[in-house]
Amino acid sequence: MATVTVNGQPFPAEPGTPLHQVLRRRGGLEMPCAGQGRCGKCRITASGALSAPSSAERAHLTREELARGVRLACCVRVEGDCRVTLSDSARSQICLSGVMDAVSLRPRFHACGAAVDIGTTTLAASLYGADGTLLAQASAANPQAAWGADVISRIEAALRGEGGALAACVRGAVDALLNQMAEQARIAPGEIDGLVITGNTAMLHLFTETSPEPLSHAPFEAARLFGETCSAGSLGLSACPEGSVYLPRCVSAFVGADITTALLAGGICGKDETRLLVDVGTNGEMALWHGGALCCCSTAAGPAFEGAGLSMGMHGQEGAVDHVSVRDGVLLPHVIGDVPPRGICGSGVIDALACLLETGELDETGLLETSPALIAPPAALTQKDVRMVQLAKSAISAGLRTLLHTAGISCPDVAELAVAGGFGSCLNAENAGHIGLIPEGLVSKVRVLGNAALSGASMLLLDEELAGTCEHLARRARTLELSANPVFAEYYTEGMFFGHGTDGL
Amino acid sequence: MELLNQISQNLQAGKAKIVKGLVQQAIDEGIPAQQILEEGLLSGMSVIGEKFKNNEIFVPEVLVAARAMNMGAGLLKPLLAQDGVRASGKVCIGTVKGDLHDIGKNLVKMMMEGKGLEVVDLGVDVAPETFVKTAEEQGCTVICCSALLTTTMGVMGDVVKAAGEAGIRGRVKIMVGGAPVTQAFCDQIGADVYTADAASAADAAAELCRATA
Repeated sequence: MATVTVNGQPFPAEPGTPLHQVLRRRGGLEMPCAGQGRCGKCRITASGALSAPSSAERAHLTREELARGVRLACCVRVEGDCRVTLSDSARSQICLSGVMDAVSLRPRFHACGAAVDIGTTTLAASLYGADGTLLAQASAANPQAAWGADVISRIEAALRGEGGALAACVRGAVDALLNQMAEQARIAPGEIDGLVITGNTAMLHLFTETSPEPLSHAPFEAARLFGETCSAGSLGLSACPEGSVYLPRCVSAFVGADITTALLAGGICGKDETRLLVDVGTNGEMALWHGGALCCCSTAAGPAFEGAGLSMGMHGQEGAVDHVSVRDGVLLPHVIGDVPPRGICGSGVIDALACLLETGELDETGLLETSPALIAPPAALTQKDVRMVQLAKSAISAGLRTLLHTAGISCPDVAELAVAGGFGSCLNAENAGHIGLIPEGLVSKVRVLGNAALSGASMLLLDEELAGTCEHLARRARTLELSANPVFAEYYTEGMFFGHGTDGL
Repeated sequence: MELLNQISQNLQAGKAKIVKGLVQQAIDEGIPAQQILEEGLLSGMSVIGEKFKNNEIFVPEVLVAARAMNMGAGLLKPLLAQDGVRASGKVCIGTVKGDLHDIGKNLVKMMMEGKGLEVVDLGVDVAPETFVKTAEEQGCTVICCSALLTTTMGVMGDVVKAAGEAGIRGRVKIMVGGAPVTQAFCDQIGADVYTADAASAADAAAELCRATA
């Protein structure tokens, strides 16, 4: 048995064990491409008895980096005693606040209640007192990132028999958030007697250790859509095992409970007006409320706006370029925190492309004058990055247009486009319109909701009578399939360019 | 010829309506359909394919160029049939069972049509038996399988198996591709050819068709 010392803490490991398995036990590792050696983002510093650098490592790391002991965690095998330094992720700007529709106070808890959103990338939670006051909030990265940034990598890991480990690590992280909030509010964690835990369909499957097998292939029909109550203890939450947990209902395999709760927070349904909701993440989920009916769809946006997909992409945390503007033809980047730039996050990517279009360094077809285009050195966008964004933004915009087209309406008929999730309050709607992420006709109608999934979960927590309405809505919602949909394909092609590059069609 | 060159240029720029107009003009001027196809449309698509391989252009340009090609080719189809012009090869393509992603598959299809191949598009969620049956019944030289999910790419192995059981491996080649697919995976399931991008896939299919012609 060998000893792997991670940041001073020893872990036993059999020689031959992949290093990432040891690091997963400790936590704090992110492996966006699920360990295929493709993204080069699981960098660590290591020395001792380790396997020789693989071809993937030699491709991603410079000679000096390798000489300094920089390695890719996914490629290394433990061969004997070794030491590893894992830089703990920088402080994240996880969006906790969100717009919340008015509620009547009919809480589903007695002493204290907690609302939790299990996002693919981040976890966020709010703690409430019996009188409905917000006592504390907390957030963390989803530790399942060690199995891959996207949902499919994690589903695949669960199907390989790692479902128990995936459930345990996210449950541990939720427990940590509950304990942290209890400490902030100076209450005992056991006083939390009612919880609402929302998340997308796959996240709720993995959290409850339900087999995600039906989510792994067409026809993608989830066997379990939730809308159920169980005990915190039965879900492996040890902070407040006696608490009762409500899991809101999902609409379908790809439109989860996070959308159900976001719809609630945004007050999207129920009124006569036509409203759209979009949540941009690894998948773009969209919903249209029109004529008293709800129609949803989901499109693979790829991780372009979430960091993993771009050469210098990162989450919205310290060192990320989150905004860019132009003055006198020069890019003016804004970096999160008082630190040098390290990369670029989703909102920064949108701004940067809009600015590059303005300065003419990016043409309407998506061709960069020079690649990489420096945004805030060393943070830059390569030609390949721009292409990734083109695919993603076009998929989102085409999804929205297909929803409208299917309902037989167009942009002027829409009262509002509510934007939830990912970008939080950082999204510059005008720039999103410029690059074609949002149809131009909807730009003036954008309302940014912030973390609407969490706000909606809080509403369900504070007013238990909302659950019925919410479940009814999710059950009746129609899901529009975009794969092999000719209308979507047409809009998708049309929306790939920037500006008016598709004239002549 | 200047007119055919204009067709090629406008196709590369994705100007579908102009391409259609120019193809009609070429037909009206009495230029043989096969010449319009080869020196106008296919020559334009081959430039697109090369640029795509060199990363100079990306999916959007290919999609709009292919749309322009299809509009022009639509006018030529009945004339080519009349003249008894045959495609240079026939392949079938589909996204494997359990997978509904069709953007990459469609791109490959367009590139293959741009090489002058006849492509039978089986769509998405295609069962292994369907690939094999189509190849047998329609005399395809190549079966092309696409998958975008790591959870569905295993089905490609079933296609290889089904083709083996049907005894067609000798005359039908199996090509595989899609984001999670690698050369190592292709070797592991015993498929014939893996290509990393749509343009290379079209080159490889055209080569396989030439080899068996």
